[in-house]
Amino acid sequence: MEGSKQQTNRLEGAVPTAPSFVTAAHELKAPLALVRQLALHLESREIEQRELHEIAHRITLTSERALRLTTDITKSARLEDSLFSLEPLNPIVLCQEVVDEMKPLYAAHGRTIVMTSRTRSLLALANRDLLRRILLNFADNALHYSGEGPVRVTASLRDGGAYIRIGVRDYGPALPSTMRKNVGERSTAVHSRPESSGLGIYIARQFADAMHATIGATSHRDGATFYVDIGTSSQLRLL
Amino acid sequence: MDTPHVLIIEDDQWFSSLMKKTLEREKFGVTTASNTIEGMDEINARVPDVIILDFFMPGPNALVLLHELQSYSDTANTPVVLCTNSAADIPKDALSAYGITSVLDKTTMHPDDIVAAVRRVL
Repeated sequence: MEGSKQQTNRLEGAVPTAPSFVTAAHELKAPLALVRQLALHLESREIEQRELHEIAHRITLTSERALRLTTDITKSARLEDSLFSLEPLNPIVLCQEVVDEMKPLYAAHGRTIVMTSRTRSLLALANRDLLRRILLNFADNALHYSGEGPVRVTASLRDGGAYIRIGVRDYGPALPSTMRKNVGERSTAVHSRPESSGLGIYIARQFADAMHATIGATSHRDGATFYVDIGTSSQLRLL
Repeated sequence: MDTPHVLIIEDDQWFSSLMKKTLEREKFGVTTASNTIEGMDEINARVPDVIILDFFMPGPNALVLLHELQSYSDTANTPVVLCTNSAADIPKDALSAYGITSVLDKTTMHPDDIVAAVRRVL
């Protein structure tokens, strides 16, 4: 038994534990390796036209996914040198744009992502680009971890209209309680799920900090919700 | 001899699909699972001749499955091909304790390498 523990520890020591250049490289390995395999399949044998289109589409989507990550990493590295203006925006419209942007990737994996908020008259104070990137990050994470059932994006007023919570609900493995606690904390290593490097969540938290928002996660019996809480616009409060 | 049966446990649906197609073209029987728990269910239903196993997946990682395999006499000797992006980071001597003799690096492998690896361990 002790021998087994030692084997486990030796292997787990190879897992990156904090966001770093190594972690970023590790995160990019998966999509790049997949693109390479897909391209090798195109090269190595004659394939039907239908399969050719399918593989080409997968190369496109996987490349876009990797590029989103590289853009997030570079943007995240320059956050302190930049000023991010906050503007009143309708989070429902932004959420719908994110859902529409992610739909092809979800469809290619045989999955669905939907917007389910009922409220229409929300006005948040946020940086549009950063909020969009946070939501794309959550949606990308949810695709990887979701099982059956659509991923749901929701937006709702909280605390009597003090802030708006936008959540992305998946149906993957539940979050361990320690990791749930760590999602919004700056001083600790952040992991979204045990096998994840946590880079995506780390970047999302940086983007949230830059516009005075907070992120967090709620564990469910059959999955998790990653959310961002953003302030409401005073224009809404005056209504 | 019956067609050798391969179980692919891989969370990347598209990577899994590529390996499945390659192996089926070589007349292997193939089933897939997208995480360790699903993999255990598949093994409970039918012990495969070879398991192709990713390392990091949603839920328990590969080590949990390897512990389980070693815990039962009917699966303790089932050959496992580890297929991972982290091949270079995993100590080979630690893997050999689990009976793993074949490790494929997803970042450098050729699609047909999976066929050669399966034939090697059968």
